[in-house]
Amino acid sequence: MSSTLQDLIDQPYQHGFVTDIESDVVARGLNEDVIRLISAKKNEPDWLLEFRLSAYRHWLTMTAPEWATVDYPPIDFQSIAYYSAPKAKKKLASMDEVDPELLRTFEKLGVPIHEQKALAGVAVDVIFDSVSVTTTYKKRLAEAGVIFCSFSEAVQEHPELIRRYLGTVVASNDNYYAALNSAVFTDGSFCFIPRGVKCPMELSTYFRINTQESGQFERTLIVAEEGAQVSYLEGCTAPQFDTNQLHAAVVELVALERADIKYSTVQNWYAGDANGVGGIYNFVTKRGLCKGDHSRISWTQVETGSAITWKYPSCVLEGDHSVGEFYSVALTNHHQQADTGTKMVHLGRNTRSTIISKGISAGVSSNSYRGLVQIGPKASGARNYSQCDSMLIGDRCAANTFPYLRVMNDSSTVEHEATTSKIGADQLFYFASRGIDNESAVSMIINGFVKDVFTQLPMEFAVEASKLLGLKLEGSVG
Amino acid sequence: MSMPPPVAQDDAQDDTRDEARNEARDANTSAPPAAYRTSVLDSQRALAGSPAAWVNQLRREALEQAHVLSLPTRQDEDWRFTDLSALYRLAFKAASAPAAVVAQAIDPYRIAEAPQRLVFIDGVYAPELSEGPSGEGLTVCSLAQVIAEPSHRLHETVRAHLGTLAPASGGAFAAINTAYLHHGAVLHVARNQAQLTPSHLLFITTREGLASYPRVLVIAEGGSQCHVVEDHVSLHQGAACVNAVTEVHIETNAQVRHARIQRDSRSSFHIARCAVSVARDARYESVSIDLGARLSRLDLSVRQEAPGVHIALDGLALVGNGQLADTHSFIDHAAANGASRQLHKTILSGASHAVFNGRILVRPGAQHTDSAQQSRNLLTSGRARVDAKPQLEIHADDVKCAHGATVGQIDQGELFYLLSRGIAPEAARNLLTYGFAADIINRLGVASLAQRLRQQVLEQTDRAGSPS
Repeated sequence: MSSTLQDLIDQPYQHGFVTDIESDVVARGLNEDVIRLISAKKNEPDWLLEFRLSAYRHWLTMTAPEWATVDYPPIDFQSIAYYSAPKAKKKLASMDEVDPELLRTFEKLGVPIHEQKALAGVAVDVIFDSVSVTTTYKKRLAEAGVIFCSFSEAVQEHPELIRRYLGTVVASNDNYYAALNSAVFTDGSFCFIPRGVKCPMELSTYFRINTQESGQFERTLIVAEEGAQVSYLEGCTAPQFDTNQLHAAVVELVALERADIKYSTVQNWYAGDANGVGGIYNFVTKRGLCKGDHSRISWTQVETGSAITWKYPSCVLEGDHSVGEFYSVALTNHHQQADTGTKMVHLGRNTRSTIISKGISAGVSSNSYRGLVQIGPKASGARNYSQCDSMLIGDRCAANTFPYLRVMNDSSTVEHEATTSKIGADQLFYFASRGIDNESAVSMIINGFVKDVFTQLPMEFAVEASKLLGLKLEGSVG
Repeated sequence: MSMPPPVAQDDAQDDTRDEARNEARDANTSAPPAAYRTSVLDSQRALAGSPAAWVNQLRREALEQAHVLSLPTRQDEDWRFTDLSALYRLAFKAASAPAAVVAQAIDPYRIAEAPQRLVFIDGVYAPELSEGPSGEGLTVCSLAQVIAEPSHRLHETVRAHLGTLAPASGGAFAAINTAYLHHGAVLHVARNQAQLTPSHLLFITTREGLASYPRVLVIAEGGSQCHVVEDHVSLHQGAACVNAVTEVHIETNAQVRHARIQRDSRSSFHIARCAVSVARDARYESVSIDLGARLSRLDLSVRQEAPGVHIALDGLALVGNGQLADTHSFIDHAAANGASRQLHKTILSGASHAVFNGRILVRPGAQHTDSAQQSRNLLTSGRARVDAKPQLEIHADDVKCAHGATVGQIDQGELFYLLSRGIAPEAARNLLTYGFAADIINRLGVASLAQRLRQQVLEQTDRAGSPS
C-alpha cells in the first residue's frame, strides 16, 4: 500500500506559476519611515498612523515566540518588502478594465470572478497582492445595508467604524506577529452587517500572494451588529517560490447580541517542495469576540498548505449564553509543520464551546494541535467539548496534542478527548475483500475521518476542500 | 512552549486581565532570590565527607549543578501553573542530628501487611524504629550503610545505579537532593525472586523549618517481583520542605508495584522526582496519592527501554483550602509493543489548585504502542482551580493512543438518586466524592493502608463540605 500512497501523497503543487505584472514595491526593510510611507500611500488618517507606529514601537520590544513545535531559521524582517501593489492604480468600474494578465491568472486558479460566481451568489473581494482590484455585488449588499469592501476603502469611507472596532479583539500588542501586522498591514477586508440583517449571500475573499518575498500582512475585520448573520469564506492559493514568504495576518470578528458569524477558510499556500525548500510561513492571529449575549462565532478551517502554520482561531465568549465553535482539518506532508488549534476563553455565564480538530500527517511532517479552554471564575454553567483526532500516514511523521484546560468555576464542565489512528492494513483488506482498490479505500477512510469538519463548510467550499485533500493525498478523489 | 499571552484589551474581560496582571506581578516577584539557593545549600558544607569517594564525587558534581541550574519559576513551561515564590521566601536547613521519636509516635503509620519497614526521621535513617529482616532474595536496607561498607554485596550495584535515572543535571531540585546524598533506602530484589508483601519506607518530618532529602533506590533484577510503599508523613503542623528523589530500575521481565503516599503537614512543601526505567517485558504499576502539603509537586517519568512493557500509573490528589497539588507525568515509549494506562484524579475544595500535566511520547519505531490516559477532575468549590494538560507526542504510525480530560462537578443524576433514597444532600455529596477517590485508593493493594486513607478522605471531604 505504501508505494501507492506515496504516489498519491507526492502530487506536485498545481497552482505554481508567477504572473508577470509589474508591481509597485516599497524598498525592503522596516522602520518608522516605511510605516509612514505605507500610511501615506494609502492616504490614512493620523490616528491610524499612530496605531501603526505604537504597534511598531511595541513590536521592537518583543521577541519572536518559540514555544510552538515548529522549527525554522530566524526571519530577517529587514529583507522583506512591506508593500507592493499592482501597477494599475486607478479605480475600475467594470471587469473590462481589469488587467487581462490578472484575469488570466484567476482563470488558471479557477476563480470565477464574473458570471459563474454571480450565479453562485457569491461576492468576491479579490485581493491581488495587497490591493483590492475589484469587488462584485457591492450594490446588492449595499441594498441590504451590508458593507463589504477592502480595508483601505473602509478606512476612507467608514473611518468611524474602523476606528471603533480595529484592535478591540486582537490588541496591537497582542503577540509578536499581531504587532508586526498592526504596524505594516497593507490591505484586507472589512465587513459590517448592521442590526438585524441577514447577509443575503455568502461573502468570499481570495487571497493571493504574488510578488516574491513580499510578505502579506492582511487585516480582516468583521462586525455583526445585534441579530445580524453572516457567513464569510476565505480561500488561498499561491505560486511556487524558492524563498520563504512570511504571511502574518490578523483577523478580528466582533459579534454583538444574538449575532452569528461563520468564518470558513481553505488554505493551500505553497508548502515548499518535497525536500522542504521554500514555502509560506503562515503566522496568523485570528480571534472572535462574542461580545453580546446569545452571540455565536464559528471557525471552520481546512489547512493543507504552507511550510509552517502557526494559527489559533479563537473565541472570547464574553456575552452570556454565547457559543464558540472550532472545526479544523490540518493536513501536513513532506516537511510541512503545523502548530494549530484554538483558544476558547469562557467569561460569560452559560457559554458553550465545541472543538473538533482532525490532523493528518504524512511524509516527515509535524502536525500539532495546541489549544486552550479557559473557564473564568464568573463563567457559571459553562460547557466545553473538545475532540482532537490524529491520523498518521507513514512512520516518519509526528502528531502531537497539547490541550490546556484551565477551569476556575465549579459549575462548568469541560471534556477533552484525543485519539490517534492510522489507515490500518485490516481496513484496507476489508475494502479489498469488497472489491474496492486501495486508492478509493484510502480516500473513503480519509473522507470519513474529516467528515465531521467538512459538513460544517459551506457547500462550494466543501467541494473545493475535498479537491484539495484529493490533490494532497488521494489523487483524483473528489 | 506556551500559549500566547491571554487576550487583554476589553473592559468586560476583567477576568483575563486580572490574571494577566497577576502573571505579570508573579513574574516580577517570582525571580528566585539568590538567597534561597545560598541558604538551602548552606548546610551542605556541614555534611561529613562520605567514606566512598564516588559518593563525594556525585555530591560535588551535584553541588556544581545546584549552583548552575536555574531554580524554576513560572516563566518555565513546566512550572507555569505552580508558583514556588512562597518556597523561595523561606529558608530550610537540613537536620543535623536526628530528633528523638518514640516508637508510639509512628504507630498510626505502621502497615500490618509489611514485614519490612525503614524509618527516616527528618531525612535521617532511624535504625531503632526500622524493622524486618530482609526476606528471601529481598534486601531492604539503609543507603548510608551500603555506601559505608565497600564489602557490602550491594555496594557495587548501588554505585552502578545511583543517580543514573534522576541525574543531578536533570533539574535544580534533583541536584540539591543529590548534593545532600547520604541517607536513603535501598530496595533490591534478586533474580527470579518474588516478594509480594509490601516493603514500607516511612519518611517522617518532626519539626518545622527543616529540609529533608529522602532518596530511594529500587532495583528489581530480572524476573523478580516486589512491592514498595513510599510514605511521607508529618508529626507536626508547621512548614517543612521535603525534596525527594526516587529511582526505580526494573530489569527484564520483572514487576514492581510502587505506592507513593504524601501526607505531609498542610504548611509544608513537597517536591519529588521519581524516575523509572522499565526493561523488556517488565511491568511497573504505580499509585500516587497526594493529600498533604501546601504545595506538592511530583515529577514522575517512566521510560520504556525495550519492547513489551506494561506501565500503569494511577494518581489521586485531594486538596483543600490553600493547597496546591501538581503532578507532571511523562511516559516515554522508546521501544515497540508497549502498553501504558494512566488514570489521574483530583478532588478540589476551598481555594485550592490542582495541576496535571501528563505527557506521553511515542518515539520513532515504537510501533504497536497502546496508550490510554485519563485525567478526571472534580471541583466542589467555586474558588478552586484546575489546570489540566494531557499531551500526546506521536512519532510512529501504527499505534493506538488516546487521552481524555474532564473537569466537572458531582453528577446531578447520581446526587438525585441518593436524595431519593433519603440520604441528606451533604452526606450524598460526600459519599460520591468518597467513591470518586476510593476508586484510586483501592488500587493500592495494601488493605490496611487503603482503609486508613479512605478514612482520611472521608474526614477531609466532611471538613471541606461543612461551611467554612
